[in-house]
Amino acid sequence: MSDLKVAVIIKLEPDFSEGNVSYNADGTLNRAETKSILGPHSAIACQAAFYAKVRFGAWVGVGTMGPPIADAALAQAQAICDADMLHLYSDRSFAGADTLATAETLRAGIAKMDGKMDIVFSGHRASDGETGQTGPQTAWKLGFTFLGHVIDYDVDMDRRVVRAKRLVSLQGFYDIIEEVEAPLPVFIAIDPSYKPHFNTVSQRLAFEKYSQEARTRVANSKQYLKTFNAQELGVDPKLVGLPGSPTIVYKVEKIPKAKASRKAEVIDGSSRDELRRVAAKIHEVLGGMVIK
Amino acid sequence: MTERYDVAVVGGGSAGLAALKRLSDLGKQAVLIEAGRQVGTKNVSGGILYSKKPRQGKTHNVEDLYENFEKEAPVERKITRYILHAASKDKDFAIDLTKAHEYQSNFGYSVLLGRLNPWFARRAVEAAEKQGGGLVSGVHVRSVGWSDGRAVIETDELEPFDVKAVIAADGVNSEIAEMTGARSKFTPQQLYQGVKVVVKLPEQILEERFGIGPGEGAAHLFAGDVTLGHIGGGFLYTNRDTLSVGAVYHFDSLVEKPAEPSALVNALLQDPLVADMIKDEVAVKQEIDRDLPKEEQLRARFAVSKLIKTWNELRDSYYSPAARSKLVEGGKYKSDAEIKSRLDLIKAELETKYGTKFVTDYVELEYSTKLVPDGKRCAMKKPYHNNILFIGDAAGRGVFIGPRIEGLNVGIDDAVRAADAVAKAIDRNNFAPEYMGEQYAQEVEKSPYTRDMREIDKDYLKTFLDATKDVPKDIVGQRYGVVFRLMSSSAFRGLAVGLANMLGYDKLLPLVESEETYVQVPIEIAERLGKQVQKTYEPTIPSVAERVARLKYDDDRQPHIRVLDAESEFMKKLVTLCPTKCYSLEDGKVVLQHEPCIECGTCARETEWRHPRGEKGVVYQYG
Repeated sequence: MSDLKVAVIIKLEPDFSEGNVSYNADGTLNRAETKSILGPHSAIACQAAFYAKVRFGAWVGVGTMGPPIADAALAQAQAICDADMLHLYSDRSFAGADTLATAETLRAGIAKMDGKMDIVFSGHRASDGETGQTGPQTAWKLGFTFLGHVIDYDVDMDRRVVRAKRLVSLQGFYDIIEEVEAPLPVFIAIDPSYKPHFNTVSQRLAFEKYSQEARTRVANSKQYLKTFNAQELGVDPKLVGLPGSPTIVYKVEKIPKAKASRKAEVIDGSSRDELRRVAAKIHEVLGGMVIK
Repeated sequence: MTERYDVAVVGGGSAGLAALKRLSDLGKQAVLIEAGRQVGTKNVSGGILYSKKPRQGKTHNVEDLYENFEKEAPVERKITRYILHAASKDKDFAIDLTKAHEYQSNFGYSVLLGRLNPWFARRAVEAAEKQGGGLVSGVHVRSVGWSDGRAVIETDELEPFDVKAVIAADGVNSEIAEMTGARSKFTPQQLYQGVKVVVKLPEQILEERFGIGPGEGAAHLFAGDVTLGHIGGGFLYTNRDTLSVGAVYHFDSLVEKPAEPSALVNALLQDPLVADMIKDEVAVKQEIDRDLPKEEQLRARFAVSKLIKTWNELRDSYYSPAARSKLVEGGKYKSDAEIKSRLDLIKAELETKYGTKFVTDYVELEYSTKLVPDGKRCAMKKPYHNNILFIGDAAGRGVFIGPRIEGLNVGIDDAVRAADAVAKAIDRNNFAPEYMGEQYAQEVEKSPYTRDMREIDKDYLKTFLDATKDVPKDIVGQRYGVVFRLMSSSAFRGLAVGLANMLGYDKLLPLVESEETYVQVPIEIAERLGKQVQKTYEPTIPSVAERVARLKYDDDRQPHIRVLDAESEFMKKLVTLCPTKCYSLEDGKVVLQHEPCIECGTCARETEWRHPRGEKGVVYQYG
């Protein structure tokens, strides 16, 4: 086993895909009717952790704070990153936590993993909270160097240094890619555009091997799962849940719908004539363009 | 630093996987490179997988290589009936060739490679990982070169790596054979073009219709009218809950008188006998009333689709003993009768509420095509080049003699022989062609299949002739009368076969494989001896466009084919011969539209033809 240890913090989120999401009459999310899944950004963070497993044989732990049903998200995460350990931090006293209180719970959880972590990954943000704060705050609580917007990374195992590419977008400027180096341990918030690359035969073989291992592990994912309540985590009750949250959401407003700037015409494409109309429209729009 | 491995196997078909398994079993490190996203997505077969027990010599059979093959492998059905049909427009004469099918064989299973090859792969990878090897999919080998005696492999996706030896199992359109100059591209005379459709048929309906028990299967071959005057014929094999229906033709016969491959398979599907074999109960949606409000129309459309889907799935389960008992044991239904009544209920709802009609038709699942190398004409004389050994289709090997159709087992046999030669070379650290290549060539020479590709087996011929003894000799015609009579008499058969073998396949084949034997003789047999068959319905046959639309693709925007001469005669014929109509004629020039390409290689002869990059191109589900 390699001496690299990585953790991923993930979140169970509502499934916003078509056919799964449901809204109340007032436009707020109907949580009871909407299925929950592993958040899409969390899934990308898991891919980044799997990269560490394939490249460096890293030990991988996955942690989440959430209700007992969040174990489903942990299993989905394990399927992606072949996790060696799954942590669920679940306690009624964690309810109502803002990002800072959540970070405190996650910090305590990560400390309970297999020794000291070298890299902790998080997603870019959650699709239901959209704050993007839990990651950086957890990094701050852990005292790790924080690297955000990471689109690619590598580890120099000899020097124990992480080299990462960060996508920096500033309004009014071109996007730039910044290459940074940081000594372990680091906290990496993965950018949505991250894609792992496996460019050699040995990496592909390792990829296949660990993917297969992940499939076997997921079938018994309960065996890898440890659940902690507040007491077991040893957190200060004043720092978690509602009491530990300096911010509260007191009102959510709908953003007024912008006026449509384009005109759309619906053509039912079920008959020949209708299809001809579609073709004529395309022809009209494309005008002189030649398609070859 | 370049990564190094002992052996690379290129191509994850049945042959390549067998090579990986055998090498790993022998304790050697081998890496298999497959271009498809997953193993099995690029493979097509007829197909029956045989295990043989020849009187002379030994074949390496699938069950020797994979433990518990018969018990655990996802094969379709063990073929227990093998029938040849001579067909005219409305008459059919059946010749029972079960004895010929069983000739020197342990078994023959119908298979679908989309299911079987992934199973082979799991077994092979388990063994390979123990030796530090394995399988890499989604990677396309671009070139093979040499440096310090090692083969350097470059791919479209990965960094180059080098190996001591290569086993090339990259199929009939082997790029490795072409780029290294090991052999030239096959000519139309050396190839068959096969087109297949997979037809859905619930398990127990299938068993009842073909008169077979659970797990048993039937094979039917067709000659005569269905060939539309070309040299070749049709086949229909029973799978577990599908049928493989296909047409296989001498490619030169098609080039000479171009016929659309889809038309040939359609002719077979429309044959009254075949139409009766493939028929099933099919739900046909009614047009939705356009005067209804839009939402109402949408709602009805979704409801009908969902009900039909449920009806189909439940019906499939009802006619499958395993699925049926699972439904009952799972507590979803109390009894078989309850499933049946639920089925009837759905059907009634569809009929009364939505006007859905239930008609007799057939359901096509997948359209596929493949070139098949005729081993008699194109087996490589020297199946190696430097430290590369060629196996299976890549080496042009297969046994196709009349109704004897064997390719998969030949590839597996080659794979074992190649793996053994490579293992020996590793032990001696000698990969020179004079040693490793020659070792393999000698092994191949010993293969009973090689013998079958060269000479007529008179015992097989006897089995065949015995089966056709009811056919009046005069039908066979003036041309073969004497030969046929000689062959049919046991006293003279040895002599006749001896004479024929002296002539050799080269001179003999054009005589035997003619329009007369494949078309006229069968039609005459059917007309004179056949039973009347009547068409009970007209199958609704999808167009090529509809067939292409049902296939899955991972489209590559970079075409893998380049037309060299847009005005050549051969290329113009491809407008007809391409099974998915990739070519069209504009102002006397051939234009390629590569998107529907299913990578059969029919056009490879006069194009710059590559397989698509890793993961790209067609993704077969059944294969």
